[in-house]
Amino acid sequence: MNKPENFCHGYETKLKTSSGLIDKVRDQLKIGAISKPNLVWLELTGCSGNIISLLDGANPDFSYLIKEMVNMVYNNSLMAAEGEKAVQHLMDILDTDFILAAEGAVATKNNGLYNVIGRYKGEAITALKAVQMLGEKAAHVIAIGACATHGGVSAARPNPAECVSVQSVLKRKVIKLPGCPCHPDWFLGTLAHILLYGEPELDNRDRPLLFYSTTIHDRCPRRSYFDKGIFAAKLGDKACMFKLGCRGPVTRIDCPVRQWNEYVNWPIEDDTPCIGCAQFGFPDQMEPFISYDTTREVKP
Amino acid sequence: MTKKIVINPVTRISGFMEIEAIIENNKIIDAKTEGLLFRGFEKMLNGRHPFDAVYFTQRICGICSTAHSMASTLALEDVMNIIPTQQGRYLRDIIHGCEFLQNHLRHFFQYTIPDYVRLPENYPLFETNHNDFRLPKEKNDRIVKHYFEALDLSRNAHQMLAVLGGKVPHNHGVFIGGITTQATTDKIIKIKSILSSIHEFIVEKMIPDVYTIAEYYVDYYHNGCGYGNLLSYGCFNDYKDLGTLYVNPLVYSDGNIRPFNADRITEEIEYSWYSDKKQSIKPLEAIPEENMDKPDAYSWVKAPRYEDIPFETGPLARQWLSGQYRNGISTMDRTIARVLEVKKISEVMTTLLDNLIPNTSVQQEYKVPDTAEGAGLIDTTRGALGHWLKIENSVISFYQIITPSSWNISTRSSNILKGTAEKALIGTAIQDTENPVELGRIIRSFDPCISCATHVYSHGKRIKTIKVVP
Repeated sequence: MNKPENFCHGYETKLKTSSGLIDKVRDQLKIGAISKPNLVWLELTGCSGNIISLLDGANPDFSYLIKEMVNMVYNNSLMAAEGEKAVQHLMDILDTDFILAAEGAVATKNNGLYNVIGRYKGEAITALKAVQMLGEKAAHVIAIGACATHGGVSAARPNPAECVSVQSVLKRKVIKLPGCPCHPDWFLGTLAHILLYGEPELDNRDRPLLFYSTTIHDRCPRRSYFDKGIFAAKLGDKACMFKLGCRGPVTRIDCPVRQWNEYVNWPIEDDTPCIGCAQFGFPDQMEPFISYDTTREVKP
Repeated sequence: MTKKIVINPVTRISGFMEIEAIIENNKIIDAKTEGLLFRGFEKMLNGRHPFDAVYFTQRICGICSTAHSMASTLALEDVMNIIPTQQGRYLRDIIHGCEFLQNHLRHFFQYTIPDYVRLPENYPLFETNHNDFRLPKEKNDRIVKHYFEALDLSRNAHQMLAVLGGKVPHNHGVFIGGITTQATTDKIIKIKSILSSIHEFIVEKMIPDVYTIAEYYVDYYHNGCGYGNLLSYGCFNDYKDLGTLYVNPLVYSDGNIRPFNADRITEEIEYSWYSDKKQSIKPLEAIPEENMDKPDAYSWVKAPRYEDIPFETGPLARQWLSGQYRNGISTMDRTIARVLEVKKISEVMTTLLDNLIPNTSVQQEYKVPDTAEGAGLIDTTRGALGHWLKIENSVISFYQIITPSSWNISTRSSNILKGTAEKALIGTAIQDTENPVELGRIIRSFDPCISCATHVYSHGKRIKTIKVVP
């Protein structure tokens, strides 16, 4: 139609993937083509930062998620019920159609007793037990954030609580959304795809290609500085931060085009290197996060 | 008749905890707060590059990540003898202010409101345990509307943070010297615009809402009192040109306000799962080893003490010490003080924004010292937060973290003084022992952050087989 000349279709599509899918879900729900499944959002060994990141989502936002997309039946940070009555929600949905979303790593030390998420009929429910109990029966399991997908910071050396990924304790497909935290769009877009078309296309490490197909480096707005060999010597410089330790070249995620917090900014634009938080191996294999060693040779 | 009540999980807090209370004649006669937290960050940090602490320690907490970036940055500046410029301080304190707004909005509407206001029960998330909802329908419905509106405003507080901090949770902006990037005029006006809409919401909706609740729950001015000892490390204070915009480092006990002295902080471990040569340890002295074979221990949380006694920290302490609010010390006063603080912080942020010089770069190349030690102490969303560290061979050799929730949700100490929240629970009258809504309300007034708690109790007995690998 009458698009401006500088309109880029690829860019536009990328930004709107989640909201486009969500609108479709709403329409399908309205005409009764699909029904609202139950969603359990478990918090395990971690910082509970992924549920906060979910609350930071906009179009779709959290209200839309619980009003139009799913029946959210359990989340430790937000549910009104407490104690055994809260845990009862988990027991009651076991035989229903539900999706399990889990953030945080699974502490395995001493049969999981390093992370108890509640008490039921006097017995401690470990995170390990909850993940296995729900994970076996869920229609889909989504591991959200670095701790859930590969242990993340919770499993950083020397891994005091012997934390592992959600996948490590389940013999089934687990969709993985690495990131510290997970961007709300990565989760909501994946969920919308599941509701509409089933499981999204995944790469060989079970990440949705919709979000995790391309490295940050490939789409970095400072890529031309890299190509010309113009490097930042300190934070705050408006050049390529490769020599400050940027992990963009090894991190597959769409941050450069999506950006964060209602698409307002992202680490590179904030004049800091990417620390590889959305890549397997974070944090131990991504350190040091910042170094002023600008004497290293650039290896293309 | 004596009855034991156990609540686990205590929902609508960050992380997991258990409350155990003994009730006699409908009154709590003893209580334990079992914040059973062990992630071992202090161990993980050993051997890492000192600069990494700023981003690494944020992963302690998803709702107050910025707090840890502030404390770790201050600690690094202390060890490296770097004094940030005033512009650097303004910039990062604006980021810090955004986190206060986000946290308090979410804590009041998403974590506290469901205790007092009946949310639409056609959502499974809003089903409740109890029926103690006292607001008339019209007032109840108005606050329900604000519950959903607040979701937008707290999200916008984080958007505002990301304008200077890159992203959040776990921002990239706060760093040695101030922040990493420069505040351009478009960024400054964007923040001012968002802040103005948040300020309007606070004044027109949030503050009236907390007083509406207070009107119908007057009894909550008389429970959850604790010791009445208050402490702050100070925040938004001691600017060269602007002076103190909020609160200086102060303590309050026995009716007197005194200057705070960091040398008087100790942590006791007698009732926590740790062992050391001493029971009372100064922050830079030692990281005690885990030991779960102590007969009387019941928590991973230690017992921070100031001059050997427990102190409360957080919004009420700050409001009291800065003279902004001195109505009382109770569950309701704590809840009101947090709401009033949001207004105060938004005003402080406006002052800081008005004093920014656009495009100021505060970064330089930093060098890690070979050997050094230091501390970063600051009052943050939930209260007094301290990071202490030592550097040897240019890497971290020692890292100590004492969080605000350790102060508030501490265990008892060797002189048998209970933790502040435990003390606050004791004496409370329980209306319905089958649905003891009072406990959660009192505990949530402290806004505890027990990310990743680790429970090792089963049927009320300690499990002897548990060992922790160092």
